[in-house]
Amino acid sequence: MVTFSQWLRGNSERYLLERAQAEMAKRYLDRPGPPAERGLGPLFWRRVFVPVYRRLPWGLRRAVIQALPGSHRRRWQARGPIRRPPVV
Amino acid sequence: MPPRIVVVGGGAAGIGAAGSARQVDPGARVTVYTEYEDAAYSPCGIPYVHGREIPDFQSLFLQAKEVYQQAGIDIHYETRVTEVDLGRRQVEVEGEGSVPFDCLVVASGFDYADPGVPGADLDGLYYVKNIRRAMEWDRVLDDVRVAVVLDASPLGLEMVTALAHRGIETHLVDSHPWPLAEIADPDIMQPVEESWAELGVKTHFNTRVEALVGDRKVRAVRTSEGELPAGIVVVCTHKQPNTSLARRAGLAIGSTGGIVVDERMATSVAGVYAAGDCVELPHGVTNIPVQGLSGSHAYAQGKVAGANAAGGDRTYRPVYVPWGMVAGRWMIGGASFGETLATALGIPFVMGVAEGISRARYYPGVKKVRVKLLAEPGSLRLIGAQMVGQEGIKERADFLAMAIMTGVTLEDLAWMENVYSPPIGALNEPIAVAAQNGMASVRG
Repeated sequence: MVTFSQWLRGNSERYLLERAQAEMAKRYLDRPGPPAERGLGPLFWRRVFVPVYRRLPWGLRRAVIQALPGSHRRRWQARGPIRRPPVV
Repeated sequence: MPPRIVVVGGGAAGIGAAGSARQVDPGARVTVYTEYEDAAYSPCGIPYVHGREIPDFQSLFLQAKEVYQQAGIDIHYETRVTEVDLGRRQVEVEGEGSVPFDCLVVASGFDYADPGVPGADLDGLYYVKNIRRAMEWDRVLDDVRVAVVLDASPLGLEMVTALAHRGIETHLVDSHPWPLAEIADPDIMQPVEESWAELGVKTHFNTRVEALVGDRKVRAVRTSEGELPAGIVVVCTHKQPNTSLARRAGLAIGSTGGIVVDERMATSVAGVYAAGDCVELPHGVTNIPVQGLSGSHAYAQGKVAGANAAGGDRTYRPVYVPWGMVAGRWMIGGASFGETLATALGIPFVMGVAEGISRARYYPGVKKVRVKLLAEPGSLRLIGAQMVGQEGIKERADFLAMAIMTGVTLEDLAWMENVYSPPIGALNEPIAVAAQNGMASVRG
């Protein structure tokens, strides 16, 4: 059974990557992007979700992504930048 | 009373967990259940035996079964755990009944995504995973004239190269515009495509698989661009976390489909840990959960999970994902993410690219190295890197992952010290040149 967050992530990742791949393929390889799948669902993700996502500022996109449930919401000690000499 | 630790899964994470638990508490009673005939071998080496770079499958085994017995690890082979009862703290084991535990480590690995087309139940489809089946398929390959590989995933790249080395006419079918398109950038992969063409590989990008065709055994692959004859189809689809047992037990599952864990590899239920391809972990730069990393990640996570299950206190870190592999005649690799994924997610970045060399320009065997660095605008902290070359890629990927983790900037890299010795390193390190180019592009 696929949860809402899995459904959202799976689809958003797929169609955002598809758009990025199309741009990159044109820029670097002079090739077309992946063939578009037909249907209302793909049409929504391609024509509505992707353009709206791209217009949002990165800070807002990031906040939405961070709000999804997952391992990132549990305790993780990040290693911060090391900016001082070790023997001072 | 020594703790009873049950480990579900005998891959890198499971064996790492079992060994680590015994190190932390030599009295711990550790039982590993694996549905396969063997544990502790390197499945990652299988394509290289098929490609004849490695002479036999025996080389892939790490230890004899007796070594685990002597280490106090009780491995039950070809034994399936069917249920986990968290209320009673016991697992249901096929043929053994209920087995109690104090702590449980779930290391149930991955399954390949179903190709999702008619004919997926035909004979002649090879899923590279179990070494015993790989030995049987290796004999089949002796008589195969044409092979079709589905999906240019990391395994797909390795299998394409292996089959081409084997002299088999090899077709690669993938729905994306270039190979490894979910991970690597097109400019990084272009030399790989060219070298495959030299090896006789026929690539079919932007091509969808519509059906696998045959009566009982597959004989062709029908695609959006026509039908390809196939003596064998190697299915290298996306690795999905195998979480069926965890889901039924009620462990929290994240947006990737992997088991949710914290830095101690503890799941949402006390005393239950998870590690390897069945879990998801936060990415160190984006804090977005990722899943399906390498065997070295799985082994390290297993060691943390096992140590904590035995009463220790170890932590794992968010991942910066150094990666690398051989494809065609090239080595590709990187750390964190590349331009394609950053573009897809809309992560702001500045970029520095350089074509350098791996040794002194006059030294025999000198190879080209292309380095691409991504940095955060403003701070210029490194956030991603990708490379293609013919030597020194793995070492650079490991270094760049550490550089990202520790907050190194383009400026730091632009003026980095580097080894200069004609047989092993050029005067100008390609990473430094890429960083200098990135700085120049920022300054306009």
